Amino acid sequence: MNATRYEKPTIAIKRFRWVFMAIAVIFTYYVLQLFQYQIVNGADYVAQAEDNRTDIISDPTERGMIFDRNGIVLARNTPSYNVTITPAQLPDGEDNPGDRYRILRELADTINMPLSAGNYNEETARGFTPCATDFGIREIVEIASTNWPYQPTRIRCNIPRDMAMVVREKAMDWPGVAVEVESIREYPTGIETAEVVGFLGPVPEVLLDYYTELGFVSGRDKVGYAGIENSMQDVLGGRNGRRVVEVAVDGQVIRNLEEPIPPVPGSNIYLTIDVRLQEAARTALRSNFDYWNYRAGRILSESGAVIAMNPKTGEILAMVNYPSYENNRMSRFIPGYYYNQLSIDEAKPLLNKAISSELPPGSVYKLVSALGVLNEGVVTPEQTIEDPGTIYLVQSFYAHDAGSLKEYVCWTADEGGHGPVDFLHAIAWSCNVYWYKVGGGFHDEVPGNGLGILRMDEYARALGYGQLTGIELPGEVDGLVPSPNWKRFNIGENWATGDTYLAAVGQGFVLATPLQVVNSISTIANGGKHMQVTMINKIVEADGTVSKQLEPKVLWDITKDPMIHTIDGNQILDETKTVQPWIVELAKRGMEMVTQIGGTAYAEYKEYDGFVGGKTGTAEYCDDFALSLRLCGEGINTWPAHAWFVGYEPADDPEIAVVAFVYNGREGSTFSAPIVAKVLDTWKQLKEIDAAKNILPAGN
Amino acid sequence: MNTKDIWKRFDIPLFAAVLLLCIFGVALISSAIAGNPTLAQHPQRQATFMVVGLVVLFAVAAFDYHVWLTLTKPFYIITAIFLVFVFVSGQSSFGAQRWLQVGLLVVQPAELAKLVIIMSLAEFLSKHLTQINNWGIIGRSFALTLGIVLWILLQPNLSTSIVILVIWALMVWICGLKAKQILIATGILVAFAGISYATDFPYLADYQKGRIENFFNRPTDEEARYGDTYNVDQALISIGSGGWFGQGYGQGSQVQLRFLKIRHNDFIFSVLANEFGYVGTVLILGLLVFVIVRCFIVAKNAPDAYGALLAYGFAVLIAFQTIVNVGVNLRLLPVTGLTLPFISYGGSSIVSMLMGIGLVQNVRMRTDDRKQLG
Repeated sequence: MNATRYEKPTIAIKRFRWVFMAIAVIFTYYVLQLFQYQIVNGADYVAQAEDNRTDIISDPTERGMIFDRNGIVLARNTPSYNVTITPAQLPDGEDNPGDRYRILRELADTINMPLSAGNYNEETARGFTPCATDFGIREIVEIASTNWPYQPTRIRCNIPRDMAMVVREKAMDWPGVAVEVESIREYPTGIETAEVVGFLGPVPEVLLDYYTELGFVSGRDKVGYAGIENSMQDVLGGRNGRRVVEVAVDGQVIRNLEEPIPPVPGSNIYLTIDVRLQEAARTALRSNFDYWNYRAGRILSESGAVIAMNPKTGEILAMVNYPSYENNRMSRFIPGYYYNQLSIDEAKPLLNKAISSELPPGSVYKLVSALGVLNEGVVTPEQTIEDPGTIYLVQSFYAHDAGSLKEYVCWTADEGGHGPVDFLHAIAWSCNVYWYKVGGGFHDEVPGNGLGILRMDEYARALGYGQLTGIELPGEVDGLVPSPNWKRFNIGENWATGDTYLAAVGQGFVLATPLQVVNSISTIANGGKHMQVTMINKIVEADGTVSKQLEPKVLWDITKDPMIHTIDGNQILDETKTVQPWIVELAKRGMEMVTQIGGTAYAEYKEYDGFVGGKTGTAEYCDDFALSLRLCGEGINTWPAHAWFVGYEPADDPEIAVVAFVYNGREGSTFSAPIVAKVLDTWKQLKEIDAAKNILPAGN
Repeated sequence: MNTKDIWKRFDIPLFAAVLLLCIFGVALISSAIAGNPTLAQHPQRQATFMVVGLVVLFAVAAFDYHVWLTLTKPFYIITAIFLVFVFVSGQSSFGAQRWLQVGLLVVQPAELAKLVIIMSLAEFLSKHLTQINNWGIIGRSFALTLGIVLWILLQPNLSTSIVILVIWALMVWICGLKAKQILIATGILVAFAGISYATDFPYLADYQKGRIENFFNRPTDEEARYGDTYNVDQALISIGSGGWFGQGYGQGSQVQLRFLKIRHNDFIFSVLANEFGYVGTVLILGLLVFVIVRCFIVAKNAPDAYGALLAYGFAVLIAFQTIVNVGVNLRLLPVTGLTLPFISYGGSSIVSMLMGIGLVQNVRMRTDDRKQLG
């Protein structure tokens, strides 16, 4: 080789220093960085890697069913098939537009959906709701791939089973397309039982933590929003299964990391209501509205409630709130327009008036006064009180207040009143003047202050007023048993004598729910035994075990449990007493006379075949609704009134008590008593039908 | 010098280190398959290319590098033609194309272009060493580089273009470029960067802008974690979760469950970190540094300017690619497509790397022992 070819190198050898220095600095820095990542913060990244590979799968459980007392299905689950697309799994739109649109086009043909439809812009895209959209497949995929490319988005919901099977088969060749089976709540009795059964909705934002803790999956699982669905959520809901698994990046499950917990299905609930009676009660209420509104030639009323219960057991046999809503319309999702429509309706269909409305009970409350005046010895049963039709009572606000005279009238004022009235007739005729006088005192006829508000309140509470019944439904309110202290705290005024007079007839400040009203009369009808009101007959677990069976529970017996505090002036003493049984019996006699000749409901019951006890109530009121219609005014018969009637049968051994409440129904006897009669009649027929069924040999 | 003497000076530690890195690369690629059927053939192919590369290495080392010097021009022209061809066929298929189908082989000419550029610049600069501060010479050397880089830039393949431009700059610098020239060149570069920034990088493709944007302005939202920054985030998790000794070969959860993407290529360093931990990364970095430094030493001791520039240019190439690749894995640099020398999957890459080592060995073998010690 020619040595001269190797000339002396003249590149800048000294500059290699810089090269070696740079390499030393950079790689030292890298090694330190690696130490930082792998050792110092290693645990942090290990946690992230664990998070990557660990997935918690929630296996959905099955919600329990709801039945009526005879096993009629009120709520069940039914599978619904939805087509979904996960945009990230579709063939790439940029690399492979042909393939992507072939899939969408074929899918469109298969599920009979437009490939492209709807008015697509930023605004409408924001308002996109899966299952309720006018968009075509392309628009939905566009929205989904911009916002949540890795989540399956519902393209079309509730497709027929056959179509779902076809899509599922073809989806083998359609990456990203899938069929999702969703469990949908179905209410076969729909609007007939909506106020009792309620409906479901998505896990609410405010309760997200609570439900997440219980294993619910937001966006998938639904929870009760109203009725039994809501109050018995814990029993019906069951528990989702839980699997901690190792997953690959594409979601493929590799193995279980922990022992899987299988889902626990919810329990089935049998209610105490009888759907047939429920339907009869609703029909009675509705046809009554139709009748009176047609006769009046205008809408007098279209809102009310009916409750039927067994006084001996406290079971609710029917509970109707009118108007109500169709809960099947909420089964898939709660449609905004429908919910708005329900919310702005003045008749408040979403409010269960049977338990959530506080109303003046009117004359039904006279039974409170009735027990009180006899048990406290204010009057004797035989003692007559004069009813001249109109009386003037002193309205005074404190002990030595000279006060002013105020006019109080009986509903028979125009005919000159009832004349002399004794205890039984005071109930049967619903004589206001009698109850004013004995309730608040009247000159020499009823000396002193009569029963007085404090003593009256004791009897009200003994009958269940002013407290929750504890029925298994959400949204129950407790009404109001007013007292002087209550008025001072809440209105800032002293208790006036006139307030006592009004309270004695269930007016003024007294408020109660229809359930409390029927429950109070049931207590008397049941001889003083106040039963725990309930809607749950039994709870049956998924494996058939009966985990709870209704056992009627006596909360108290007013004739045995000393409930009534002794009142000394304005003092409530610790000393207590019972209500004497003969007084309860006498109150029942009075209510039996209500449906007899001369009684306030005689006209409605004279042709009724059966022994019915009851009480009418016409409760004057004035609320926003009445004000808006200019119904409120001074003097009798000009104020608007709610119509009440509570009836029970057979009067001597009651098996059923029914209350009918008609909002703005004017008169209890004419508006509400016929409704109760129809419900009672249906009950008897149903009993006969059921008895006949039991005689038939099994299998027929 | 006879042939026997020449092979005595063959740098065995350098060769051993390179061989170790290549074998380790094949092992890591095997692990990186992680059940992906499209990657299944990769380790075997990489091993095949490694063997081909080793043959090339010895072939290149066997003939005096001055023989190769004479072939520089034809190499340059052939490479340029290849690149033009790739560019044109890329144009017609509406997208970036970096490969060329040659029979059954898929060749990435840009990998070979790096070596051709090093050879060409070494030839040109060694001839004009004394005039290195002459703007004409600087300009001509740049034009020589541009003749190749232009086509790569148009592919578009920004990262390889940058590698080549860096090689050019550092080769001119080592020839003894004066501070004045360096300052002026830097000034031009800064001005260019400024104008680019102001005009929103008109010469960059959208995805390239996106990568740079994501690096300097890290998106923090959830969507980005599944989109733009997913790969780098997962790489860092893979590295961090390796700990001291790693999760074990074939056991890395990030690798085997495929959370880490481009595992066999851009992010193979993260595979290493995930499965072999800090000990593994430091060892492999140590081996790479050993190879790089060894090449620089060969350059420093080379018997002539041409040999020195050859070895130096190649040392710069592996150093720069290693620094950039590891930097990307450590989220210190924006995402590029640069491979980790000797380890990342890629036939053209491993063959050209081993060819480069052949050139370095060639220079080493033609260097006096006295020089070696000096």
